[in-house]
Amino acid sequence: MKNRLRVLRAEREWSQADLAERLEVSRQSVNAIETGKYDPSLPLAFKLARVFETTIEAIFSDEK
Amino acid sequence: MGCKTNNPAVWRFTRRFIVLSLLYAVFSVLSTYGLLRWHSTGIVIWLLAVLPAIPIAMAVLLTGRYMREEKDDFQSAVLVQSLLGGIGATLVVTTVWGFLENYAHFRRLDILMLWPLYLVFVGISYGIVKARYR
Amino acid sequence: MECTTKDSADRRYSYRVLVAMTLYLVFLVPDVWIFRHYHPAAGLTWLLAILPALPIIGVLAATGLYLAEVKDEFRRAIMVQSMLWSIGATLAVTTVWGFLESFAQVRHIEWIWVFPVFCFFVPISSALVRWKYR
Repeated sequence: MKNRLRVLRAEREWSQADLAERLEVSRQSVNAIETGKYDPSLPLAFKLARVFETTIEAIFSDEK
Repeated sequence: MGCKTNNPAVWRFTRRFIVLSLLYAVFSVLSTYGLLRWHSTGIVIWLLAVLPAIPIAMAVLLTGRYMREEKDDFQSAVLVQSLLGGIGATLVVTTVWGFLENYAHFRRLDILMLWPLYLVFVGISYGIVKARYR
Repeated sequence: MECTTKDSADRRYSYRVLVAMTLYLVFLVPDVWIFRHYHPAAGLTWLLAILPALPIIGVLAATGLYLAEVKDEFRRAIMVQSMLWSIGATLAVTTVWGFLESFAQVRHIEWIWVFPVFCFFVPISSALVRWKYR
């Protein structure tokens, strides 16, 4: 799924590892989500939204 | 999967899976016949032995494809849990049976029974998973 | 799995599998020795035969617990997918072998080998799945 993870990370100067630590997941997970190869579960999506202090819709887009 | 389902992915998968299972049975019979009657040698034996494994390999790929296509997360989850339950049960049963076969002189079973055995256990797991979500 | 892992589920899994495998050897070696040198009574045969199968069941239980405990859902997905591909490969390989057994005089594959064959394929499929998600 398309997402703005990379942009949001860059705004805060977080590496994938930094984000992974905040989310309590592995760096590979963050990479897989960021590259759109893996869609996070609802709980993880909410965690992402909280970490970036925004909404899920602001991060992810399900448009083709 | 109830009898009534408006999910095309499930129908496609079920249909194709049944076809592949039938192909497996047909190829098994063909290979056995061929190997027995034709007194094949060398490479032909290997080809005939591989033939029944082809529908199995295709069934595996088909399952992978279905899981990618299935939009209903819940249906996916049910299938995955059924398959994992099938795997666990199969590995436990075959290991225990294997040891009993070797050391307690239990009757020998053909290794070809593994595929049908796995399907049976997946079916049982499916029933359990569905019951849990009723 | 990354070498630096903070997830306690990984560590617990490794520990449990290590214990199980040790128990397996502890049970298996005397077992084989006893069967080679003595003729145990019928009831005892059963018990001795099943004993080494128990740690194997332990490994499966440890895997199940890992899937339930691991917090990183992506890691869980990788483990699940690699197990599914592994059982597929195991089924295909044992089927081919089953036919070759009857007609090409290859060594009889005993049922206890199903689990090791499965374990053989897990790291391979795991690497392939992770590579797909790179």
